[in-house]
Amino acid sequence: MEPKKLIQFRNIVKEFDGQIVLKGVNLDICENEFVTLLGPSGCGKTTLLRILGGFLEATEGQVIFDGQDIAGVPPYKRELNTVFQKYALFPHMNVYQNIAFGLKIKKMSKDVIQQKVMKMLKLIGMEGYEDKNVTLLSGGQQQRVAIARALVNEPKVLLLDEPLGALDLKLRKEMQYELKRIQQEVGITFVYVTHDQEEALTMSDKIVVMKDGEICQVGSPLEIYNEPANRYVANFIGESNILPAVMVEDYKVRFDDITFDCVDHGFRPNEKVDVVIRPEDIDIVEPDKGKLTGEVLSVLFKGVHYEVIVETVPGTTVTVKMHVIGNRDVTSQNGKEKISANDFYVDIEDLDQLDEKEIVARSDAQAWNPETDEYISISHIDCKLEKKLGSYPVTFSTSSGTSVQRTIFVVNQPFVRNEKANEAVMAFNFFKAVDEIKESVALDTDLKTWASAQAWKLTDENESVDISVDYDFDDENIQEGVYNITFSTTGREFKIHTTDYVEEGREVGLTFFPEDIHVMEKMVF
Amino acid sequence: MKKFSQLAIPYIVWAALMILLPLLLIILYAFTKPGNEFIQFSLTLEHFAKFFTDPDFLLVLWRSLVIAFKTTLICGVLGYPVAYFIARSNDRVRNILILAITLPMWINMLVRTYAWIGLLSDGGILQKLLGLLGFGEPKLLYTEGAVLLGMVYNFIPFMILQINTSLCKLDHSLLEASADLGADRFQTFWRVVFPLSLPGVVSGITLVFLPAVSSFFIPKLLGGGQYFLIGNVIENQFITVGEWNFGSAISLIMVMVMMLSMYAVRRLDRSGGREEDRL
Repeated sequence: MEPKKLIQFRNIVKEFDGQIVLKGVNLDICENEFVTLLGPSGCGKTTLLRILGGFLEATEGQVIFDGQDIAGVPPYKRELNTVFQKYALFPHMNVYQNIAFGLKIKKMSKDVIQQKVMKMLKLIGMEGYEDKNVTLLSGGQQQRVAIARALVNEPKVLLLDEPLGALDLKLRKEMQYELKRIQQEVGITFVYVTHDQEEALTMSDKIVVMKDGEICQVGSPLEIYNEPANRYVANFIGESNILPAVMVEDYKVRFDDITFDCVDHGFRPNEKVDVVIRPEDIDIVEPDKGKLTGEVLSVLFKGVHYEVIVETVPGTTVTVKMHVIGNRDVTSQNGKEKISANDFYVDIEDLDQLDEKEIVARSDAQAWNPETDEYISISHIDCKLEKKLGSYPVTFSTSSGTSVQRTIFVVNQPFVRNEKANEAVMAFNFFKAVDEIKESVALDTDLKTWASAQAWKLTDENESVDISVDYDFDDENIQEGVYNITFSTTGREFKIHTTDYVEEGREVGLTFFPEDIHVMEKMVF
Repeated sequence: MKKFSQLAIPYIVWAALMILLPLLLIILYAFTKPGNEFIQFSLTLEHFAKFFTDPDFLLVLWRSLVIAFKTTLICGVLGYPVAYFIARSNDRVRNILILAITLPMWINMLVRTYAWIGLLSDGGILQKLLGLLGFGEPKLLYTEGAVLLGMVYNFIPFMILQINTSLCKLDHSLLEASADLGADRFQTFWRVVFPLSLPGVVSGITLVFLPAVSSFFIPKLLGGGQYFLIGNVIENQFITVGEWNFGSAISLIMVMVMMLSMYAVRRLDRSGGREEDRL
């Protein structure tokens, strides 16, 4: 028998001051279900809950509760109760009075109230606490009292707004089991709001993943975990390897230049898709037995399992030389002006773009007054560049005649092509003064700028690729000299959870079953 | 820290000279006979005996307590709804209303009380107005009503501001919780809002009752000679009669009465907050 639909959200839209928080939400919640609204903060999950509780009114749409539209019904007339984020226990009442509040409002007789409250205290395991001051209870105890205060009214639905957010990790785990137990014992619908995916997976019968005021996916924890609808859900729930792929035909998906069998179908031929492979679904085998091969980059022990990172497609690397020189400021004859600049390299193809501004920027040319530290503008740049390889002198000078001469090296800088990973990386040698390196606050970023390091897709030059920087000098105590700096892209890395130890640096094979490849539609933004 | 605490020294000296010393003198005067030499004191309890055996003085004391009680009650009953309304308004309206309530306090209390004499006097605007409305032309000035009016008018801002502060501090989610548990607005008010605002009510009572019970110029100006309160008696003893010792004794009795009444109010608050009909 189909379970009865208790709550139906029909195209709920909510607008706050012109900002749309819910964009037409449709959702059914059945009887006796533990439903979790899951999403990051600002996704509209709490707003949806507050609309159900009656504390907010939807701008558009209907909320149907037990067959009736409850728009306009005030909270105190709704057959549901809420456990608030910060519990909202009444500080002027003790534990007993807090739990009895709703029953007293309903004018029940004293002995009935007594009976019900005692039963609740037993359910939450807090017998003997009835006379305690609620403000002196621990977070977990306040939490339980808040749950009891709501449940004692025997609502059809209990709403819980991130109720475990304020508790520490261990207590939170305990309360997760506790909540699930209570829900099963009282057998009513729980609507639970959280941003914690683990909480959602542990307790729920149904998870509703939300993003930016819309529902991304509704399903059981297993469905959500195994068949995420898109990259966002896969990322939010559990750990995953997500890679771009192409659906060649039904049951055939292609990524990293290899076509794999899979169980998914119904996509257009050659449709671009995303593929998820969960870390625990990948097995590490001998290189010749794997569907993919790669090198073990790192192994981390995580308590029960090892987290292994295997690189199947290496990244692209380029190494440049950093010439570190002493400070070579030039001081004017009257001592009132100082000027400095660096030599620099430029690609012959970029020569056209090298105007005066660009020369100043690339050479870091500056002039200043050593007494007041005020900057002085560089008024004249003298240099004759030809579209030929070689080195050319350049002179920077201020209006009062203080000047410094440096060299521009025009080179034909080759870039590193990596056909397999479909990318290219390029960077230049460069010159820097000791002080400039010591004063850098974000050295990695500065190094990329100084070396003009860049990486892009071979198929599309405008699509840039992230690069990381590697060096082995101590920037605090750097001396004059020449240093190697390596820029590299990430390549393809797989995260694998396994209970068997593997050595770092080993060549391994990776294998997985066709049903472990979960094909998802590309997200449209 | 130590450097900062040294900044308090001027005030401590000031307080000692201007508050502590006079208080000690009052205690000394209250227990000594009049006409002492500078060095020689003769102790006595006769001033206290005189006060407690004379029914006139006791009547004045009783009357002072009653009128202070009435003032406090009226201030509370009128002030609470105003404070509630202010607390529920948005920020802009709230600021304007608070300003409107504090604005008259920028003018000296004595000046404002004089203004009431004009309004209430025979042939004054209020009497004429009542006459036009068909209430006859009742005597307004120099009645108990006039004194009461003057006191409520002067002291009600203290009540409103105190209650407003405690209502503003109230956590909004408690109101939602109450509604969620089935309480309508009225029930939420009596079971949640009011009990939690009691500390504000108590400090409001303190700030109204104390000055009301000892006030002397309001009954003097608006009550004329007809309506004598304990403050006037003390003033008379010092200024007209010249009985400084007796005046000091009455002052000391007043201090005791006020301390007792404040103690009673605080007790009420402590039990009042927790009470809330235990089943």
